[in-house]
Amino acid sequence: MTASAPRPMTGRQRILAALRREPVDRTPVCNPTSVATVELMDLVDAPFPDANRNPELMARLAATGYTELGFDSVMPVFSIIQESSALGCKIQWEQKDNWPTVRMREPIWRDADDVRVPNDFLTHPDTRCVLDAIGILRRELGEEVAIIGKTMGPWSLGYHCFGVETFLLMSLDDPGRTKLCLDRLKEATIRFGLAQIEAGADALTLPDHATGDLVSGEYYERFLKDLHAEFAERLPIPLILHICGRTVDRMGYIAETGMAAFHFDSKNTPDESMEAVRDRIALVGNINNPETLYARDPEAVRAEVFKNLAAGVQLVGPECAIPLQTAIENLVEIPRAVREWHASHAHPHAG
Amino acid sequence: MAELADIANATIRQEIAEYLDRPVEIERNIALFARTRPLMQEIAVAVIEGDQVACDRLTRQALEEGVHALEIMDDGLIGGMGIVGIKFRENFIFVPEVLACARSMKAGMAHIEPILSAAGVEPVGTVVMGTVKGDLHDIGKNLCIMMLRGAGFSVIDLGVDTAPDQFIAAVEEHGAPLLGMSALLTTTMPNMGRTIEAFIDAGLRDDVKIMVGGAPVTQEFADDMGADGYGKDALACVALAKQLLGVAA
Ligand code: B12
Ligand SMILES: [Zn+2]
Repeated sequence: MTASAPRPMTGRQRILAALRREPVDRTPVCNPTSVATVELMDLVDAPFPDANRNPELMARLAATGYTELGFDSVMPVFSIIQESSALGCKIQWEQKDNWPTVRMREPIWRDADDVRVPNDFLTHPDTRCVLDAIGILRRELGEEVAIIGKTMGPWSLGYHCFGVETFLLMSLDDPGRTKLCLDRLKEATIRFGLAQIEAGADALTLPDHATGDLVSGEYYERFLKDLHAEFAERLPIPLILHICGRTVDRMGYIAETGMAAFHFDSKNTPDESMEAVRDRIALVGNINNPETLYARDPEAVRAEVFKNLAAGVQLVGPECAIPLQTAIENLVEIPRAVREWHASHAHPHAG
Repeated sequence: MAELADIANATIRQEIAEYLDRPVEIERNIALFARTRPLMQEIAVAVIEGDQVACDRLTRQALEEGVHALEIMDDGLIGGMGIVGIKFRENFIFVPEVLACARSMKAGMAHIEPILSAAGVEPVGTVVMGTVKGDLHDIGKNLCIMMLRGAGFSVIDLGVDTAPDQFIAAVEEHGAPLLGMSALLTTTMPNMGRTIEAFIDAGLRDDVKIMVGGAPVTQEFADDMGADGYGKDALACVALAKQLLGVAA
């Protein structure tokens, strides 16, 4: 970065600059996936499952990412099922202490010819809810903080609509049909993404679970790399690809998609990940959820934040949707640790 | 001691040479395939390659040639699945490939099972498996089930989102000596402990061994909640099941 550190930035400016790998006054703290917890739900009286279905509650719970935790971004989509619900999947909405999920045992489609994005896709209550919540957040938080939306990629939508095992077997038996499914499903990704941009989102998380725990890196190249590049072209705000699990073997491909950032999991170290992407894409991550944020103390959180900062990771945050029982104490330690680190390191990383 | 060159089938020789690294596993597989008939090796290859059509055809052929169903299962189908499990553990293959291998094994087992049950051949053991309440992750659990079946166990699969009383009912109904629980979420992991308590409350804890697994679960956590064992992957699950039921490895 340039010798003179930029003057104090708002959270929004900081996030957007870091996503462009431009100079920042300090590394932003970013949550591309949910930071909702039971404690936060109680604090603002916006519990699951209602906070996933009512825009006021959704916005109120999302705002706590900024007001209570001090992150530089807010993220109103706490689950991965809003658009699957609009596509026709059956949803188990669960209770306050668990995320809603798709009943993948009752798949809605069997073949590429079944894939159809319904006409009411964007007016369905569960997609509408996200759009309205983004509108509320934009009005209430103004330009202070970055609003990150979320639109699911076609691979993850395929899991939901066909069932994971059926979809994965199809990818092996008939790669051509699988590509056709993905190509048809991508319209859902793009339409929901564009609608969120119009509603006021500053950036979009795009989860597409082609993880090393399930499929090879070569699979990512074969089925998804070009589609992800197409998303980067057709959705005109910064995109943050999210794939949890082991991904270092495919980060080289991911870096070539033109997406702004990749949200990476702690199964990949910050150093090896920075090395793999070689400054072609920004990285967001990778504080461990189950072992650190959920089960340990602020000290352990701080150590992981420092490890990311030392490696030059551009945006710091939890690796994936944080466990709902995570203590606020551990979450507020993330921005605190970032500030502390910058106080003793004069020049923050530009990119 | 048998050597690689003693194995008739070139594909099996190549699989062992290329993908196996642990001396005990190399030794065990060489010993197995060096003594099996060429047709059993071909069945194993059909499983390894995920070729369900070939597996179906070769299994029927073997039965017509008078090979005993038990031999086809042990030397052909289970033998092949053993190599599949190792390749998955070592990241040479991934979930889609394992699913295809399991599907071909199933195509062969479809001919074997009716014969074995008509003859009253007992499975190695009966295991009840399920993902705990509130959790819908089942890929790992399903892989464990495939490997357990691949090792000759009879498995009752309760699916996902399984409440303690459903686990209890299934164990009682099938008289299963072993229960396996899977959890992938920190929010649902405590439901394993709750299920174990439910077994204690029902006075059934001493009748059943309980094993647990899933990415966030650790040996320490398993010990804390009073499980009898923890397995970190599908092969460990099979080894643990054998150990808990006192079956020779
Ligand atoms: C695929 C996946 C999904 C799929 C699940 C599809 C399905 N049918 O299972 C989908 C996309 C639907 C999904 C949904 C969600 N997921 Co998810 N998901 C994953 C992912 C990417 C891979 C899990 C997997 O299948 N691994 C591969 C298998 C083979 O491994 P495994 O399950 O560990 O099983 C092996 C061993 O553990 C062992 N084993 C397993 N069971 C047993 C049992 C016994 C007895 C034994 C001995 C051994 C054993 O053997 C297996 C084979 O080797 C992980 C990330 C990761 N890398 O782990 C996240 C992850 C598990 N998910 C996570 C989250 C947060 C969610 C959601 C809440 C997302 C959301 N915000 O809505 C929902 C929750 C749904 C619910 N209520 O259950 C988090 C959980 C965090 C936590 N620990 O609390 C993870 C860890 C991601 C992360 N880094 O934070 N998910
Ligand atoms: Zn994730």
